[in-house]
Amino acid sequence: MRDELLQAQAELAKALGRARAGEDRDLAQKVREAGEQVAHLLSGLLKLTRVHAPENHAFDAPVAEFGKALAALVELLGTVHVVTVEDQIYVNDVRIRSEGKAGSRDLGAELRRHDAGGLSFHAPLQDVGVRALVRALGAPAPDGEGKREALLAALQAAEVTTVEPAGVFRLRLEEGEDRRTPDEVIRRVLGLVAETWANLEQGRVLNPLPLRRGVLDLLDLGLGAPAFWGGFPAEAAPHAIHATEVAMVALLTARTAGFSTGFVQDLGIAALVHDTGYLTRGVGDGPAAFARHPLEGARVVLRQRGFHEAKVRRLRAILEHHRDHATPGARPTPGGAILRLAEDYVNVARLYGARVLRADALGAMVKASGTLYHPVLAQVLVNALGRHPPGTLLELDDGRFARVAAPARSPELWERPLVRAIDPRTRQLSPEIIDLANGPRIRRAVPG
Amino acid sequence: MHDRPTTTPAPGHDSEATSHVSAASPRGQAAAGLVGALAKAARAFTLYDPGNALVRQFIGDYRARVEAATAGGPVELEVKPFELLCGREVVYHEEDRERSLAFKLFRDGVRSLTFARAADGDELLRLLQILAVRFVGIRQAEDDVVTLLRKEEFRSISFTAVEGYTSEEQTADAGLRHRGGEPPPGFDTPFPKLPPPGPIAYVPIPDAALGALRGEEAPEALGVSGVRLAAELVAWAARGALPAAEVAQLCGELRDFLVADGQLALLASLAELPLRLAAGPLRDELLRGLADARLLEAVIGSLPAQGGALPPEALRLVPFVPAAAVMDRLAAEEAPGRRAALLAIVEERLPADADAVAAKLPGLGVELVRELLKLLARKAPDRADPVSLALLGHADASLQLEALRALAGSAQKLPAAPFVEALRSPVEAIRIAAAHALEHHGDTAAARAVADALTSRKGYSRDEAAALGRTLGALHAGAALRLFDGWLEHKKSLLGGLRGGEHDELLRWAAVAGLGVIPGAEAEQRLEAVAQWAGEELRRHVHGTVGRRRAEARRLAPDGGGAP
Repeated sequence: MRDELLQAQAELAKALGRARAGEDRDLAQKVREAGEQVAHLLSGLLKLTRVHAPENHAFDAPVAEFGKALAALVELLGTVHVVTVEDQIYVNDVRIRSEGKAGSRDLGAELRRHDAGGLSFHAPLQDVGVRALVRALGAPAPDGEGKREALLAALQAAEVTTVEPAGVFRLRLEEGEDRRTPDEVIRRVLGLVAETWANLEQGRVLNPLPLRRGVLDLLDLGLGAPAFWGGFPAEAAPHAIHATEVAMVALLTARTAGFSTGFVQDLGIAALVHDTGYLTRGVGDGPAAFARHPLEGARVVLRQRGFHEAKVRRLRAILEHHRDHATPGARPTPGGAILRLAEDYVNVARLYGARVLRADALGAMVKASGTLYHPVLAQVLVNALGRHPPGTLLELDDGRFARVAAPARSPELWERPLVRAIDPRTRQLSPEIIDLANGPRIRRAVPG
Repeated sequence: MHDRPTTTPAPGHDSEATSHVSAASPRGQAAAGLVGALAKAARAFTLYDPGNALVRQFIGDYRARVEAATAGGPVELEVKPFELLCGREVVYHEEDRERSLAFKLFRDGVRSLTFARAADGDELLRLLQILAVRFVGIRQAEDDVVTLLRKEEFRSISFTAVEGYTSEEQTADAGLRHRGGEPPPGFDTPFPKLPPPGPIAYVPIPDAALGALRGEEAPEALGVSGVRLAAELVAWAARGALPAAEVAQLCGELRDFLVADGQLALLASLAELPLRLAAGPLRDELLRGLADARLLEAVIGSLPAQGGALPPEALRLVPFVPAAAVMDRLAAEEAPGRRAALLAIVEERLPADADAVAAKLPGLGVELVRELLKLLARKAPDRADPVSLALLGHADASLQLEALRALAGSAQKLPAAPFVEALRSPVEAIRIAAAHALEHHGDTAAARAVADALTSRKGYSRDEAAALGRTLGALHAGAALRLFDGWLEHKKSLLGGLRGGEHDELLRWAAVAGLGVIPGAEAEQRLEAVAQWAGEELRRHVHGTVGRRRAEARRLAPDGGGAP
């Protein structure tokens, strides 16, 4: 029993050591102290706006002090989340002492005037940025709806792009578990990707947690859901659609190959952000941008502080997502190799789909396996997508045209997918799913 | 690992968030025991090092409480913001959000948690691990309790969850409207040239082929993967494509992970990355980033319990272990084997870390100080003397003594003043050691101080008298001979030295010892003359001195002492 406990303790110690890798041992205390300073100074600065304009020299010293304290916190944490809940303040989950400090306690009320419950700082602020933040927070909020949006707009107009107001937090008290439909989940994932890209462009640090929840939802609902393989909302951003399509193919490949749940989740997140290297200023376009974006994408991930298995996987997959299998001395990891396959497959469909059958694209990729692609994984992809991969236009025996709605369901049904018929009058896909296992037969596949 | 002081009670004490617990039924009380033990064990890691014996007790208590609570069937807990309920009974209540287990679960979206009857021990441990990580970790953007629970796929612990924290106006579609941050037109082109398509077919894949791939991405392979990644990023940075600080940050995080996992060989591989680089800012930044006290845990962990030599991988890490950390560890280490290994590490860190070693010396025991001063003298001779001189001002007499002994052996010529000062110490051993040191570092001015010490003070021992006499003879033979003659002649007049004051006797003793170090036949003749009239003790002292003097002469003779 004692040995068992010792072993359990050792395993826990190891897990905690992993979780805290890269953290100072007294990180919590440092965060508490610097966080207290940030909250107190910010609250004081806001009070000062009632007496002076932020350009006044009275602001010089506290603005400088605030900037210094914030820079110290950013250095420690990467992204600093100041959250107010009732009269309490948290900085990245560490409670800030506000007893006997009315200033800090008032910060929540100051933020709530703008319908904000917190602020996320993704980078340090220079003097001018602090003054702009204080001016925006100290200004009267507009009447009615949209106070927080107005605050965000004021910050962006003042070029303070690395500060993000968060909503007023509440805890959901509804009973029961959320059950989302596949349509809701795909809309959410597309939205998260667009939001992530916008955040990263503003210089914010990647926040993988919402993306992980999105990937979990995709996996929980089953990767075969037709809503995940086409017919995405028209208002979705093209790059969000691309990232989501790559993620779906990557998730399907990894699941089919029997990778662990943790790896599949991590790969899904990597796929959703794999092209964010294109956001780097000065990356250009064309071949130069193409060559540079994997490394720049890895840099986006590097900005996230702390060690995590997922971060290593994400870094490698993004760094390797255009790397050939046969690269001497630098063969991609399975994560990178899967992402490469998924990315190329989705790109062929995106760039040449009008002229090339998806099955032919797969056939070409299988032929290139061993040089461009991992041979085993290329075959896994073929097995997973089916003879007629999702999106393929089919002419059926009964004269109707239909599009494949989902990947292969099993080896037995590999050639007989689920499809959606195309309405000949409107050329729109019908909502009804037809299982070709029950007929009609496929006459031919058509590019387009 | 060391136990941190704490005021947290032992497992039997139910102070963990129980003030508002209303459980009255046996079942409710058992559930309250389970939850209290779980909360206590999870939070223990914020108070103690994971290796602490109390943590082990908490883990044992948690498992026992789960077993007891689920003996009669599953225990279902409803999660409220600050409370956990079993049925209608409150089995846990804690309103401090930072401490509260209920709040952490609720905030992340967990709404119920159910332990099946005879819940699996391994799953219980992994649940504790999840909660402990949420309690101790601060940079946690990657996972929350819900994602961690879902990843685990428990069979005997189930839960329900909602989204947790949400912004009041947040809607599922909010992100869809986001614009900005888009790739350039024509992204992901040029597309690689593919061969003409071939036919595709379903081909079953042997599990062995997939197993190899899965193995590469298994958690156990994370270290290898991480080091490979670090090597690649270092290579990019060396080409100027990546800032050194970004790579150094990752290398530091990877180092901590490998330390936690005890992966010594991979740590050594990681440490070699900067060493393979040419001198320059990147190499410097990486070396600075990797050097950390945490590496000491890995190095020490590689030692057998009884001590012994460090394995080769650990030796490769030694250049990255700051000596200050080793010194701290040394102060607390009692096992001789480990202590020797730590001293070996300090030796490796010298002369670079001489200042850090010096700064920690005053807190150590005498034996360690002696060893470390020897190391300093050997590996950082230019720093050894200032360190020892500084110790002369320390209040601890034993440290002063060690410092004097070290200084006496210094090959450098040192100022005499500190040693002259030490001649006034109330501790005789220090005065003697100071006299020895002055033999090497004194001058004619110091000779005067030594003579004063002999003549103006009273009540010292023969040993001290001999030491001072020798020093006087060594520093200024001419003046010493004049003084010695006076001290010895004076005694001749008192009937062969049979009588006289105690102080006079000590001066004779000093004079004999001093003559022993003055070169030339004249000094030996004086000694022989003293032997003629001296009493028994003084005569023995003379004979001993002459014997030592001749032995020393033989030792110093060009032919090695073969001549008579």
